[in-house]
Amino acid sequence: MKKVYCSSVGVLLALLLLFASSVSAQTNVTGTVTDAVSGETLPGVNVLVQGTTIGSTTNLEGTYSIGMPGGAGVLVFSFVGYRTQEVIVSSGLTNVDVELREDVLGLDEVVVSGLASSVARSNLANSVETISARELADISTNQTLDGAINGKVTGAVITSYTGAPGGGLSVKLRGITTINGRSQPLFIVDGVIISNDAIQSGVNAVTAAAAAGNPAQQDQPVNRLADLTPDDIESIEILKGPSSAAIYGARASNGVVIITTKRGRAGAGVQFNVSQSLGFATISNRLGVRQFTAETAEATYGEAGLNLFNQAGGNIIDYEDEIYGHSGRLSTTRINAAGGDENTTFYVSGVIKDDEGIVERTGYEKQSGRVNVTHRFSDRANVDVSTNFVRSVARRGLTGNDNTNTTFGVALAATPGFIDLRPDENGVYPLHPFNTSNPLQTRDLSNIDETTSRFIGSARLAFNLFQRDNQNLQAIGEGGVDYFGLDQSSVFPRGLQFYQGVDLPGQSIQGRTNNLNTNLRGALVHSLSLPNSNLFFSTQGGFTYFSQDLDRTSAVASGLIAGQENIDQAASLQTTEFQLSQDDRAIFAQEEVNWASRVIGTLGVRAERSSLNGDVEKYYTYPKASIALNLTNFDFWNVSSVDLLKLRLAFGQTGNTASFGSRYTTFGSTSIDGNIGITINPSRGLADVEPERATEIEGGLDLSLFDSRANLELTLYRKVVDDLVLTRQLPPSSGFATETINAGELTNKGIEIGLNLVPVQTDGFQWISRTSFWANDATVTRLDVPPFTALGGGFGASLGLIQIEEGMSPTQIIGIDDRDGDGTADADTYQLGDVAPDFQMSFFNDFTFARNLSLTIFGHWKRGGDVINLSNFLLDAFGTSVDYDANAVDRLSQFGTSAVGFVQDASYFKLREVGLYYRVPAHLLGNAVGSTVQNLRIGVSATNLLTITPYGSYDPEVHNFGDTPVASGVEVLPFPSSRSILFHLSFGL
Amino acid sequence: MKTFSLRFALVLLAALAVAGCDLFEVEDRADPNGPSVDDILDNPTRDALINLASGIEASARVDHHFFLIDAGVVGREYWRILAADPRFTSELLGGGSSTLNNNSFYITRPWGARYVTIRNANIMLQALDLNTTLSDAEKAGGRGYANTFKALQYLLNLDLTFEGGIRFIDPGDDDPGPLVGYDAALAQIASLLDEGAADLASGGDALFFPLSSGFSGFSTPVGLRLVNRALAARVALYAGRNSDALTLLGSSFIDPVGDLGSGVAQVFNTGSGDITNPFFIPPDNAVGDAILAHPSFIDDLEAGDTRADKVLDRGEPAEVDNLTSSFGFFVYKNSLSPIPVIRNAELILIRAEARARTNELAGAIADINVIRNAAGLPDYSGAVDQGAVLGEVLNQRRYELYGEGHRWIDVRRFGQLGTLPIDRPGDDVWTQFPIPLNEGV
Repeated sequence: MKKVYCSSVGVLLALLLLFASSVSAQTNVTGTVTDAVSGETLPGVNVLVQGTTIGSTTNLEGTYSIGMPGGAGVLVFSFVGYRTQEVIVSSGLTNVDVELREDVLGLDEVVVSGLASSVARSNLANSVETISARELADISTNQTLDGAINGKVTGAVITSYTGAPGGGLSVKLRGITTINGRSQPLFIVDGVIISNDAIQSGVNAVTAAAAAGNPAQQDQPVNRLADLTPDDIESIEILKGPSSAAIYGARASNGVVIITTKRGRAGAGVQFNVSQSLGFATISNRLGVRQFTAETAEATYGEAGLNLFNQAGGNIIDYEDEIYGHSGRLSTTRINAAGGDENTTFYVSGVIKDDEGIVERTGYEKQSGRVNVTHRFSDRANVDVSTNFVRSVARRGLTGNDNTNTTFGVALAATPGFIDLRPDENGVYPLHPFNTSNPLQTRDLSNIDETTSRFIGSARLAFNLFQRDNQNLQAIGEGGVDYFGLDQSSVFPRGLQFYQGVDLPGQSIQGRTNNLNTNLRGALVHSLSLPNSNLFFSTQGGFTYFSQDLDRTSAVASGLIAGQENIDQAASLQTTEFQLSQDDRAIFAQEEVNWASRVIGTLGVRAERSSLNGDVEKYYTYPKASIALNLTNFDFWNVSSVDLLKLRLAFGQTGNTASFGSRYTTFGSTSIDGNIGITINPSRGLADVEPERATEIEGGLDLSLFDSRANLELTLYRKVVDDLVLTRQLPPSSGFATETINAGELTNKGIEIGLNLVPVQTDGFQWISRTSFWANDATVTRLDVPPFTALGGGFGASLGLIQIEEGMSPTQIIGIDDRDGDGTADADTYQLGDVAPDFQMSFFNDFTFARNLSLTIFGHWKRGGDVINLSNFLLDAFGTSVDYDANAVDRLSQFGTSAVGFVQDASYFKLREVGLYYRVPAHLLGNAVGSTVQNLRIGVSATNLLTITPYGSYDPEVHNFGDTPVASGVEVLPFPSSRSILFHLSFGL
Repeated sequence: MKTFSLRFALVLLAALAVAGCDLFEVEDRADPNGPSVDDILDNPTRDALINLASGIEASARVDHHFFLIDAGVVGREYWRILAADPRFTSELLGGGSSTLNNNSFYITRPWGARYVTIRNANIMLQALDLNTTLSDAEKAGGRGYANTFKALQYLLNLDLTFEGGIRFIDPGDDDPGPLVGYDAALAQIASLLDEGAADLASGGDALFFPLSSGFSGFSTPVGLRLVNRALAARVALYAGRNSDALTLLGSSFIDPVGDLGSGVAQVFNTGSGDITNPFFIPPDNAVGDAILAHPSFIDDLEAGDTRADKVLDRGEPAEVDNLTSSFGFFVYKNSLSPIPVIRNAELILIRAEARARTNELAGAIADINVIRNAAGLPDYSGAVDQGAVLGEVLNQRRYELYGEGHRWIDVRRFGQLGTLPIDRPGDDVWTQFPIPLNEGV
């Protein structure tokens, strides 16, 4: 029955297509488009008849020709980086020349407003963040995309959880939205929902990091967003909360990040661009090492320590420098070509990146190729195709928490400078006298690689079904896939010191993951303009299809045959497999009404069902409504210095489906002596689990002054998340550690201010300044369960824990303390801090001298927010902290009595990116290399040049547990962050 | 123009016909990663019950090494040294001003793991009830097995929390009952064992599921009942029911002339899904990750006692955190060494103690001598009064059952925690572990 119904919808659509006809009466309008300042002609400018989809672009000479239905109407001229201009064409006019002004503050960019529509920023009723290609990839060269957006999103808390090559970032938009669910925003690349999973490598088999204290995996994984190449990206739009993201439904509670890649432009000929960056990375902050004396060596390491100290005879090795002191070479080569004619445009790019880390034998390599093609079949149909293939290799070493003293950090902490761990002339590594592993040997002989092969491809087909003077109906079909195969290989040969005396020395840990995301979307968009009443309607409706299938197998082979890596060359083999599948289906509808760009209202709804819900048949609906009031467009407005004053108010709801498996109470497999058995998993499922629901109201105003030289955007929001899918901790005597329940409510309130200025704009000097301020206050407003420790929230109250508790901030840190002064810990625990910052600010300043020399400085200030620093604790415990002799006794005596010392202020100011570039003027080039080379640009840039912080370890941005929903800021001897300096050369051909 | 539209429409039609309604349907799939509880209770097949039975035995091993660490470190049998986690030598030993925390691994891990096994046993009991294909005898055997394991799990947790008590949970219950104090809990464990013994008595000739080599010789209902009664004797001794203990030993596998090691044990294997002995660390491992024998083990050892081989002389003193020992813990010789659950030596010592406590001193001394002679020592030659004989029982338990999780519990039963050595000023000997925080009690 249903099938019949569906098919008939399809037939109807097809018939509509078949019998749709276009109108004939039209006159041709032609003209030339130029830059208002330089007078140069502009090729590739989009020209559109307002209210229709009739469009054209300017050719190489900057001229265009467009058919005007009925001979009169409004032409809209838009071009990336320029302010959009509307020109009224009255009947009989056939030549319209236009001058466009540069849009230095990005006021005229077009922003997504629905699943199949977009709107000019000046008409937008939400705060939507846009990051341009320039901010993303032009200042400096970040290793990964997530690194490139760090600090650039107003309203986001972005934490780089490890300094290891290949990165690792957690992105939280507008506070905490979930306690145990998916906490990452939805990432959409050219219409494809891509995977940003962080997949553990399995080195826990060696580090046993999860074997005590906290069973959460701590393998310091890469999140897969790292695979994207920042240079290919045209823009990133960020829908920060439900009020703007509602139409994305049940996966959009954490916001939506819409990534659009570059495309060729018609009429501009073929442009080749070649660029090369070379540089080096060094550790950004050293902790220093303890200087031993004969007495302290003996006190710490006993007689053996004294003997070794005397043997060293003053030959002291700085092992921090030995391990983390490597200067890693960085290299990125990019080649792209873009161009096309009025029917077909293309963008082709290739990127080769080869970066070394600050630890020898670590690094990150990437090869990426992209082909984007747009083709117009006819006036009525066009298709956009995007394809991207990436191969990346990350070698991240062995860092972070461990319970076997094998990671670089822990082994380093156990290593005083007076012992020599370096290999002899035969390559034999001495045994570490005070530790189970020799970190130099572990670094040099083990291989920890992650290789990703990934394809992201999509196609978007737009077809004009129906076209009249004042209305048209467009059908849009989109489909895409994101496939990756991840190959995680860690090989620890049997000769490593930590295998001494172990029964099955030598381990090979092999993980294989295949993931396929499939997206389909169909929509009908109807636009109608009523010129007499100045009303413009846009109506859309459609369906979306999403499925994800992930399959991970992992094998741990122990007792390797000497020199072998193959998992069947081992005495013991442990294998595991994990499968995940998700199917989401949704229908949506949205209506936008625009009254002369004065009042813009939107109503929308999405109904969605998912295989992750307890009831897979049930549709959950997510409504949205918004209104924008553009006061400056009303007739009564007569303040000429104010270009734009817009008030806006928006409401929306989104969902967050429970994690895969929340529905099930499942057994795991086990085996004893060859008998296969099953044992209940620690988490009890909830058979009728429902998605979390986030409701947001945001309001704000946009103000633009003095010919758009000053621009203020102010937004206030309140976001309430209800039906939280909690993994409540159960009394362990139930046989379960946790169970899933829908309980609890979170409230986030926040403010976001963006101030964009062009203080100076002359021919010789231009200064663009963008300053952002944002703050969020989160509270657990209802918790139907007792307080519990957040996932990955620490190792026990004596070391500090992130605890979820009603009435408190979800990121509060609690711990033991001795407040009654009796010398022992009190029975109660106390709030000792909060991971959430008080506020953040970012400062982006761009200075251009004589149009050719530019200096860009990007700074990021986080005020407040604490981190549980356990690095220092471990260094103290091992007796190697730099200030051990002065302070460690005092600090160590507090252990077990108070956790206050571990909770440290992690405020910082970071100079994240600085770039200085010189564009060699064309007239100089003419003589030197002839006319083939254009746009020669040279420059130098730096990332993480400067960090100012009171925090007492490598980097205040850290988290031992990777990307966890609430917790961040637990430090256990991480891979230290690096600073990089890069030199750039790029030219066009 | 028209032909383009026509072709386009036909392609779209074809695409829709292929995709059809799958575009809108969401399939209700079972968990791909393992059988779910509902799957099994809806269809409690013999095969599923066999898997459940093996799961109980396998899961009973999980995190048991934390029990051995807790009992052995607090009971000053050895020190667990792990540089990455100082709590082994601070909180467990009461170093400085530190105390036991109710949310730290040393109590949460073993406590939780034992209750996982209890949950597995309860699901097996539920499934046995629902099954329609097994014979009554097979079902009785299964129930006896599950209840015996349950009782042992309860007892191990009660050993840790002592007067703090434990919680009981019945098959089908979501939530556990209230905390039950030490004496009442021992009584409840004893009656659970009795229930198991009754079922095993009507369990026929064979179990319908296999057991590991750790149950070799005991893998029938009759054999399991011998083990069940041995455990019941231990419980009776703990409860001070000495004559009950002697009676129960009569139905156990006690054998004064047999191998002291005979009994049941947790076994380990390198097969897929199996685990190796998590309490095996090479006795000469670097001090950053080691189990050091408490020096008093050697200091107090009688000359000629062959049980000196339970520790290994590391050659030079290892010093960590102001603790010094030259000896490594060497009870488990390699990563496949089994960990005893209950064995003949303990039964003989239970009988010795119960006899001594009921003033049957000659019998007690005879039992003690079995143990002493096996260790290469001459017959007991100390005073023949109840106090002295009990003292020797405690001493023999210390050496015979070293590293098997008894010392601390025995010293506590004897009211002699104050006699355990204090290695550093400010160290404490804990009487019991706190109830885990997440119990919410």
